[in-house]
Amino acid sequence: MTHAAAVKEVAVLARLSISDEDIETATTEFNQTLALFDALSSVDTTQVTPMVNPLDAVQRLRIDSVETLVDREGLMRNAPAQDQHYFLVPRVLD
Amino acid sequence: MAKAVNTLAALSQQLRTGSVSSRELTEDSLSRIARLNPALNAVITSCEDRALAAAAQADKALASGDVSPLLGIPMLHKDIFCTRDVRTTCASKMLAEFIPPYSATVVNRLETAGMISLGKCNMDEFAMGSSNETSFFGAARNPWDTARVPGGSSGGSAAAVAAGFATLATGTDTGGSIRQPAALCGITGLKPSYGRVSRYGMIAFASSMDQAGPMARTAEDCALVLSAMAGSDALDSTCSDQPVPNYAETLEQSISGLRIGVPKEFFSHHLDAAVADAIGRAIKELEQAGAIIVDVSLPSTDLGVSTYYVIAPAEASANLSRYDGVRYGYRCENPADLEDLYTRSRSEGFGPEVKRRILVGTFTLSAASYDQYFMKAQQVRRVIANEYDTVLDNVDVIAGPSAPNTAFVLNDQSKSITDMYMEDVFTIGANLAGLPAISVPAGLVNGLPVGMQLIGRRFDEARLLNVAHQYQKRTDWHTLSPDLGGLV
Repeated sequence: MTHAAAVKEVAVLARLSISDEDIETATTEFNQTLALFDALSSVDTTQVTPMVNPLDAVQRLRIDSVETLVDREGLMRNAPAQDQHYFLVPRVLD
Repeated sequence: MAKAVNTLAALSQQLRTGSVSSRELTEDSLSRIARLNPALNAVITSCEDRALAAAAQADKALASGDVSPLLGIPMLHKDIFCTRDVRTTCASKMLAEFIPPYSATVVNRLETAGMISLGKCNMDEFAMGSSNETSFFGAARNPWDTARVPGGSSGGSAAAVAAGFATLATGTDTGGSIRQPAALCGITGLKPSYGRVSRYGMIAFASSMDQAGPMARTAEDCALVLSAMAGSDALDSTCSDQPVPNYAETLEQSISGLRIGVPKEFFSHHLDAAVADAIGRAIKELEQAGAIIVDVSLPSTDLGVSTYYVIAPAEASANLSRYDGVRYGYRCENPADLEDLYTRSRSEGFGPEVKRRILVGTFTLSAASYDQYFMKAQQVRRVIANEYDTVLDNVDVIAGPSAPNTAFVLNDQSKSITDMYMEDVFTIGANLAGLPAISVPAGLVNGLPVGMQLIGRRFDEARLLNVAHQYQKRTDWHTLSPDLGGLV
């Protein structure tokens, strides 16, 4: 059973805010989902290698050469705030 | 209920004989969308001008003797595929104004094959849902009964094909998101093997399971399209370099003597009795076509849901961390500082289901929970994949239901969050194991479509399409269309 304070802590890690009004419902739903996971503990997984990729594939590498994949102007067009090709954020240094 | 008029293969034939032009087909599709979409909400963005310009190009190519099978055929993309200079929303407020500067490989390949993109289909937000109800743009409706869901997450794509907006729409499937809506809307939908189709430009949900595939009337249409979609891609290192066969060439092979496994766990208490009867009849049909039906067991079927709902949200929480209000996507008004910018942009930009899954994923990946949940789920994932592999050593194909029920009513308050997750109980296994699977129309229950699922060996899409095609030669469920007269 995870308590509201712990759910709020997870939300901080996920950069999500949960209002005091919503925390009770969020905690109930969180615990409902976690309860679904209880069944996993019934499986004996000693000696079982975790499956990270369904093909058990390893990362394929390419030749390290410079390539232009997308245009900078096109990417910057979607920036919520920008100046001279720099993304703007609130001041981080005083 | 009426017989469907056209398939992609039939339109292709008509285009090549000159009995219809790409412009006529495109205009017909666009006018159908304009007429019916207000009631169905299957399409988020229409691209009339671009589609008509592409159709004019296709008509020129056809006139010059180009006989490419997909040339000039109108289609729709799920709004999860980036389309250059066309808004791509993933059905989220977060990306409601996002204009990609590049197209997904799937989009590029189908355009190169000459297909005409009509627009972008509705879906569950970031592909998280089984009903299309989590879309920021409102739920798409099931054309068979607009009070019901079309399924999800590729619900808009399924509804669009069922309503005759186009003969093809693309979809993506992370836990059943092509097959379940295909089943609920009475169309054919194929989830290829993991790595069969490039994920480049497909907005990521759970990277170890996401896969793109075709949603169409028939297995034959899916075969034609998969041949164009599949194959290695330098832009996606997880995309396989296994050669792509011409899937249309093996459709006519006999299935006599083919071994088809029927897992007893797929006919459990989760399955509606009338759906079970319909699937039983469909399997009998395969037997009458000469297939040998074999009882098999996938004992960990129910555990698939628990496993999936650990792994998918964990991968999603990592993938969706990129949405921070800085480089693209929604940004909150007047952020007080950087933390406030991140937190409010994400809290205001994501919908409730996406936030629920990010929370759970962040929790299971945290140091204190990692071994208990994430590592454990990855181990159970291998147990499940091994069960499938063992069964598929003895049979060529597995058959069963795609979904536990027919389309349910919108805003069903009696369905809890975890009830909704059980919608995927029969489809999730193929995603966890990376196997190809297809849903084909297999009957009606109370006037609503039922889908039969066929699951095959990795990269053996050809066999699945062959079995599905042979089934469709013997049945006419895939030719049925909903009566849309009341919607106009």
